[in-house]
Parts: sequence; C-alpha cells; structure tokens
Amino acid sequence: MPNYDQSRIRNFCIIAHIDHGKSTLADRILERTGVMQLRDMTDQVLDSMELERERGITIKSKAVRMTYTARDGQVYELNLIDTPGHVDFTYEVSRALAACEGAVLVVDASQGIEAQTLANVYMALEHDLEIRPVINKIDLPSADPDGVRQQIEDEIGLDAEGCPLISAKQGVGIDDVLEDIVAKVPAPQDDLDAPLQALIFDSYYDNYRGAISSVRLKGGSVRVGDRIRMMSSGREFDVTEVGAYLPLGYAPKEALRAGEVGYIAASIKDIADIHVGDTITRADKPAAAPLPGYKPVLPMVYCGIYPADGGDYEGLRDALEKLRLNDAALSFEPETSVALGYGFRCGFLGLLHMEIIQERLEREFDLDLVTTAPSVVYRVVKTDGSVVSIDNPTNLPPVQEISWMEEPFVDAQVITPQEYVGAIMELCQDKRGTFRDMKYIDGGRVVLSYDLPLNEVIYDFFDQLKSRTRGYASFDYELKGYVRSDLVKLDMLLNGEQCDALSIIVHKDRAYARGRSIAEKLKDAIPRQLFEIPIQAAIGGKVIARETVKALRKDVLAKCYGGDITRKKKLLEKQKEGKKRMRQVGSVQVPSEAFMAVLKMD
Amino acid sequence: MSALALYVHIPFCRSKCAYCDFASYPHREADWTRYFAALRAEWRSWLPELADREVGTVFLGGGTPSLVPVERIEELLADVRAGARLAPDAEITMEANPGTLTLEQLRRCRAAGVNRLSLGAQALDDRLLRRLGRIHTADEVRAAVWMARQAGFDDVSLDLMYALPGQSCEDWRRTLDAAVALVPEHISAYSLIVEPGTPMADWVALGRAVLPDEDEAIAMQREAIERLERAGYARYEISNFARPGRMCRHNLVYWQRGDYLGIGCAAHSLLGGVRFENPRGLDEYLSGARRLNAHRLSRAEAMEETLMLSTRLCCGMDLRAYRAAFGVDFFETHRAALDRLAALGLARVEDGFLRLTREGMEVQNAVVLELID
Repeated sequence: MPNYDQSRIRNFCIIAHIDHGKSTLADRILERTGVMQLRDMTDQVLDSMELERERGITIKSKAVRMTYTARDGQVYELNLIDTPGHVDFTYEVSRALAACEGAVLVVDASQGIEAQTLANVYMALEHDLEIRPVINKIDLPSADPDGVRQQIEDEIGLDAEGCPLISAKQGVGIDDVLEDIVAKVPAPQDDLDAPLQALIFDSYYDNYRGAISSVRLKGGSVRVGDRIRMMSSGREFDVTEVGAYLPLGYAPKEALRAGEVGYIAASIKDIADIHVGDTITRADKPAAAPLPGYKPVLPMVYCGIYPADGGDYEGLRDALEKLRLNDAALSFEPETSVALGYGFRCGFLGLLHMEIIQERLEREFDLDLVTTAPSVVYRVVKTDGSVVSIDNPTNLPPVQEISWMEEPFVDAQVITPQEYVGAIMELCQDKRGTFRDMKYIDGGRVVLSYDLPLNEVIYDFFDQLKSRTRGYASFDYELKGYVRSDLVKLDMLLNGEQCDALSIIVHKDRAYARGRSIAEKLKDAIPRQLFEIPIQAAIGGKVIARETVKALRKDVLAKCYGGDITRKKKLLEKQKEGKKRMRQVGSVQVPSEAFMAVLKMD
Repeated sequence: MSALALYVHIPFCRSKCAYCDFASYPHREADWTRYFAALRAEWRSWLPELADREVGTVFLGGGTPSLVPVERIEELLADVRAGARLAPDAEITMEANPGTLTLEQLRRCRAAGVNRLSLGAQALDDRLLRRLGRIHTADEVRAAVWMARQAGFDDVSLDLMYALPGQSCEDWRRTLDAAVALVPEHISAYSLIVEPGTPMADWVALGRAVLPDEDEAIAMQREAIERLERAGYARYEISNFARPGRMCRHNLVYWQRGDYLGIGCAAHSLLGGVRFENPRGLDEYLSGARRLNAHRLSRAEAMEETLMLSTRLCCGMDLRAYRAAFGVDFFETHRAALDRLAALGLARVEDGFLRLTREGMEVQNAVVLELID
C-alpha cells in the first residue's frame, strides 16, 4: 500500500452461524492475498488460542491487514476483523462490528439460515453495515445453493442474486468474495483532518510493547511520539509504536490514519488503563466527544471459581484480571466458601462463555480449578418489602424472611427441522417452558418460540436439545424479565455436615429429582474413606434423598520387593497429591472433581 | 555401626509368570556367565567403600536364583565371604522355584553357606498354578520342602498368593492347610497385585480373569491370619508370618530402614541415608550402568519413609527411636489424627509404639496418608 487513500480501504468482518465455515474462509482469504504463504498456513490461522483450534470456534476478535490487487487493477487495503460466532460472545461481535463498514455473511449451503445467523445479521444491521451474503460448502453433496439463496432473500431480505457461491475448504470462489467486498463494501469516510478519534475494540498484553490497543481510527491520525489521551479516564501516554496486524505478527508504520485499522502501543504497563469501547484522542488536539461506546453487558450466569490448591488464590485473581481486560463481559468478586475456602463469584454471558473462561484459566494460566454449580440471578422480595438479588444460593435469606422469589425467564427461539417439533415441545414442557409461537419458514423447518426459565436453560437444556434433535436444531435466547416462582434451596449434607458449595436454588417441582441425582453423583465422586459417609439432600432440614459411601476395606501394598520402595513411595506421592486436591467438609474429604461432577448431566 | 544387608539380584527365569512385572528375563541363558562376572565385579568394586563393615544378611533374590548352575552361586558366595566380614550368624537366603531343584544342588548350596531357603510355592493347587503360569506343581513344592530338609535346611519359607482369579476362599484355606502341613519355619502370604502391562492385567481387562472382590480378598487375608496364627506362625508384617525366632532378618532391614546394598540389575540400595538403584534392564546393566538416581533423603522424606515402612510391622513404629532420629515427638505432633484413627479402631499407641490394628493394616496406605502432613 504505497499511499494512503481512504477510498481503497475496506474494513469488513465475517459473520456466520457456528460451523458454517467462517474460519476456513478467513484462512483462504489470507492465503489468496499473500499475507500468509502456503507453507505457513495451519488451519484457522486467526484462531491462535489453542482452545479455539480445538473447539473449532473463534473466541476473541482479531484484525489482519491485507493488500489485494483487484480486477480493476487497483490495489486495495483490506482489514479483516475476525469475530466469534456463538451467542454468548455477542458482545465481542458487537465490538468488532463497530470497526467495520461491511460484513460477509457466510451461510452453509446445506444447513441454510440458523438461529445465530439471524442474531448476527440483526446486530450487523444495527451497526449499519453492508451485509454481503456468501454461500459456502457448495461442494457438499447435500448443498442446495439455490434454496439457500431464496431463503436469504425471503427470511433476511437481503439481495442474494449473484452472491458468491464458494467452497472455502476447496478454495473455490475466493476471488469472487474479494471482488464483491471491493465493489460493494463502502470505503470508510472518516475525516483525516479532524481531531484523533480511535475506537478501542480490543486490548491485550505484549511482553515487548506493553499493553496494546486494537483500534479503528474514525478521525484524524496518530504517529509515534504523539501524546495520546484515554477519553474515559483522561490518562495520557506517549505513543511508541503504531502499525497494522499481520496474521502472525506486527507491521509497524509511521502513522495510522482515519479509516484505518491497526494497533497503538504507548508503553502502557498496566492493561487496566485500556478500556475496550473507549476512545483514544490526542492530548494536544483532543476530540470534543468520545465515540459512542458499547452497551455494557450484564452477566446472566454466575458460578463460584476456586483454586483447587488453596494457595493459588492470588494466581487466580491475577488471571481473572488479565482475562477481564479484554473480556468486559466477565465479572468477578471475591467470595468465601466454608468448603472451598477463598475464591471468586464470577458472572458470565452464558454457559459456553463460562466454560471457555474456565478452560482459559486452566490452560493459559496453568490453574487447577474447582467450579460450583452455575446459578442465575434470583430476585428475593423480603417480608420487610426490600428486594435483594441473589446469585449465590448460600446468600439466600432465611425462609421466614422471604415473601416470595422471582426467577429470570428468557425468550427462546429454536429453529428445527419439522420432525423434531414434538421432541422439542416435550423438552420445553419438561423445562417449565411456556409455548408462545410456532412459524414454518421453509424446506420443512420451524421456528418455535418459548418462554423458558433461565435456570433450566443453564442446566442441561443444550445437551438435551442436541441429543433429542440429533444436533439439527439451533437455539438462541435473550433475557425477557423476572417471573414470580416457587423456588427452594436444596442443600447437600455429607456425614451430617452441610456443604455450602453444593447448595442450589431449584424449582420446588424439580427438587426431589435433582436432590436424588446429585446424591448419586456425589456417591460416585467421593472416594471411599476410613469410615462410612452418608450423603443427604435436604430442603429446609427435611431429607429428601440419601446415598452412602461405604468405608474403605482394602488399601495396602502387599509387598515391597527387594528393598525397592520406589513404587510404594510413588503411590504415596500420588495419594498425597490427591489429598491436596481434596476439600475438607466436616470430617469428609471431598475431591475437587466432586463439586463439578454434580454439574454433569446424565 | 549396624550390620549391612546385602541383596543380590539374579534376573533369570525359565518363563515369565502371568502376573510378574519384576526384572526377570527368560531365554537369556547365553548371558548368564557374563552376568555373573559383572555381578562379582560390582561386588568387588564396593569393597573399598565397605571397608570392614560386617554383613549381617545376604539375600539371593530373583528371578530364579535356583535356575542357574550351582557353581555360579558357590563362586558368588565365596566372593562375598572373601571380600567382606560376614557375621558368624549371618542369615543367607536363596529364593528357589520348586520346579528347578535337585537334592544335589540344594546340598551344594547349603555347603556354600546358604542357610535359609525361600520357596516360591504361590499355591498348593495345580489348577491355580497352571493359571498363574508357574512351572511347577503342588507335589513339586512338597518334594522341594522334603529335599531342602534332606539337604540340611532348617529354615524354609514358603511364598503364597491369594486373591487370585478364580480362587475361592475354600481354595485358599486348602492351600494354607497344605502349606502348614509342610511345617515351614516361615510363610509369606501376598495378596495378588495386578500390575499394568502383565498378561494378567490384560486378562482382567478382557474379562478372561475375574478377581475376587475387595470383601473376599479381605476375608482371605483374615483367614490366613487366623489359620497361620493357630498353627503357631505369628504375623510380624502385613504379609509375613514366622515361627518364634524365624522372622526374615534381611527383610526386617528394609522395613526398619537399616543400611542395605543391592547388586545386580534392578537392585536398590539405601546406604548412609542415600537411596540409589541399578538399571532395571539386563542389557543396560551388562553395558555397565550402575548406581542411578542417587538421592540423599531429606529429613522430611526420612520421616515419611519411617512411618510408611515401620507401620507395616506388627511391632509398629518405635516412637522413642523416632524422636531420637528426628527430634520430634510424633505422638504430640499427630495427636488429633491419632485420636481419630484410634476412635475408628485402626491404630493405637501403646508401650511407646504406634501400631496399626488388623483393620488398620488392611488400609495401611490410607492410614499412613492420614498421618502425613
């Protein structure tokens, strides 16, 4: 890119339902534009997090600059901002969209439109993006590009006539996508002469450069040596480096200008000084107002996260702080549990978000964690008329102080092939859902709308939906509001001692079944000890289920052969290690895994 | 300085038993001579370090020491005698497979100084012996004991195994009674441990061998204790029983953490607070590797080992000796756990010793774990 020319910049993202081939298309585009040599290519280049590759999903947004010589002979600067596809990461998507003018909508030629396709499209429309549909996986035998094209026109109202038909996997049609972007995605129209306004859409820490902001310049320019100001905090820094991203590194430049996407490094030691959604301006010539930020997001699901080794509390806090820096949707505050010691109450957007955070903590920070059962936020109206929000069952006021309780409901949409409608209705019924609406869309598919209690959704709804529809149904939900409900606190007692970390709030009609199932799981998860351990599930002191862990009978090495005691020592070391992972609940040793075993469904 | 215990590993077998994961090598007859030369050289290399340290016990273990030509044993023991000061009352044990013995061979071993014979009987039940892959029959065990007596052995031990696949409590009773009928001085009764990588482990995994459950295994262990004690064999360690004065002095050294030197492949040593071992592989040993993983035990490790090993013994852990060695009063530092264990009937402190009860010994690992900080 020899000269700065805003009319030749295209900032775009790719949006898709999970598994429709977004990351593969991104890989092909990188290859085609030559930023990645074929030999450097691994699958899902942009998904550098180990976790992302394993799960085949994109979690954090990333931005890459490419140059592309189009059929009109002009050289264009393409900025691809990668976005996550799952509903839990809507917030991340929204951040990425704010940096773009256009979005490539990837739709699977055999699956067609699914719940997250719609959710992403609506979000892109909210950001006034030019949406360019692309039909992928046309190489599959079950591909129906014409049907899907019709569906895009009918259900989303996009003009899909002549949209690129591609196979990202086989590298077919990639040029068509690039040409379409160049031709149809508008160039940015930002004012180079205005005061600097750089929207921070991501941040992270680099060992050499310090804390780095990923930015989209909506006005003005920034260069090395400039003094910049964070508009929310007023804190100022000197710019040490600016540039664009390559898939596997940095391309420093002397300046970033209006319309461009790139990074700013300014010897910022503490990543907490960078707030995603904030606007960076220049100290000497500040902008009058910041760009509109992001909607703050409210966590919907909470759980306790504790270090498996009690000594790791500080490490866990540092790790959570690092993750929160570029994941504003994650919230946490310290809490203590009698059984688990010191840890944190963490809030998440949904179950997948929770799982991803847990896995990132374990992998990226090498932490060993104990997690308690996820809980939603309940509203408790007390007899004195006050209202409290409860995200941890342990904090529920005594029964006699409670007037009534309310639980959050979601507005849920399930898109499914017609033959599973019965199974889904049964499932929603089981989950205390209220049927609202059923619409036929096309090709024998149906959109079912239900009001569902969120605490049932976070229990095993996804798993059940998947197994009952053999993975064919897709699901999306948003918070609707609070509804008065007959809820009780279910406690678990081990050898007569209540274990706070195992308490849950549950609908009265579900309490018996849940109590029995948790008792059974604990029975399998708690190893036999030197004495017999009764496990009881109780509501308000009344026992509703009971299991027993029998006392250990035989645990001894028969022989220490020929003075070789290494085996015996190894066994002892292993047992000592295991003991470290045990939590003391009264007289009972409970392995960390037991706290999580109760979360696992049958 | 206390006497040294010397262990010599002879890693040769005619065939490998189904449960065996020891360092033992069938079909290596071609290496026997070379191995014994290496063994004797290793012994000689120790002599300067041992100076005139008295050797109190010698144990020729395997493998199958009785498989090799008796000349090898004679030469070896002659070397031991020539190099070190052997105590006048030294206990010299040789392990033997009942299927490999002749009277002549036993006479020569006895003449060479072997005064204790440990016979790997395992079961007095031909059906079970075949299953285990043993190369001998029950009658050969009887013949071996008779020959040992003829050869002048007045200290004979039988190794037995229980909790075998397909073994009933009744089968085990019969083996115990048959063993007692042979009037050995000492009996070891080991619960089978299925080791990963052995044919036995595969059989169990495939369901071709079904192990007795935990309750049955415990019942068999209790059966052994009762029958043997009634017959005059006192239990002195988790798996070991002896007539008065016939405990295996060599093995006691391991449990009491005395000094022992192991030579030969896979042999382990504890000398002056340092643990080390020879390579497990025969070829590595033959190519000269020695004294691997030398590790000076920390005070904490020594304390843990003391607890772990001495609580295997019926006489228990000597609390006064513990305080003398480590400067801490175990009873005081572990009072809460000891009270808990006493209340559960698993351990008690009496006459200055920490002893596990019969029930405590059945779960010795878990009890030790309770007592480790």
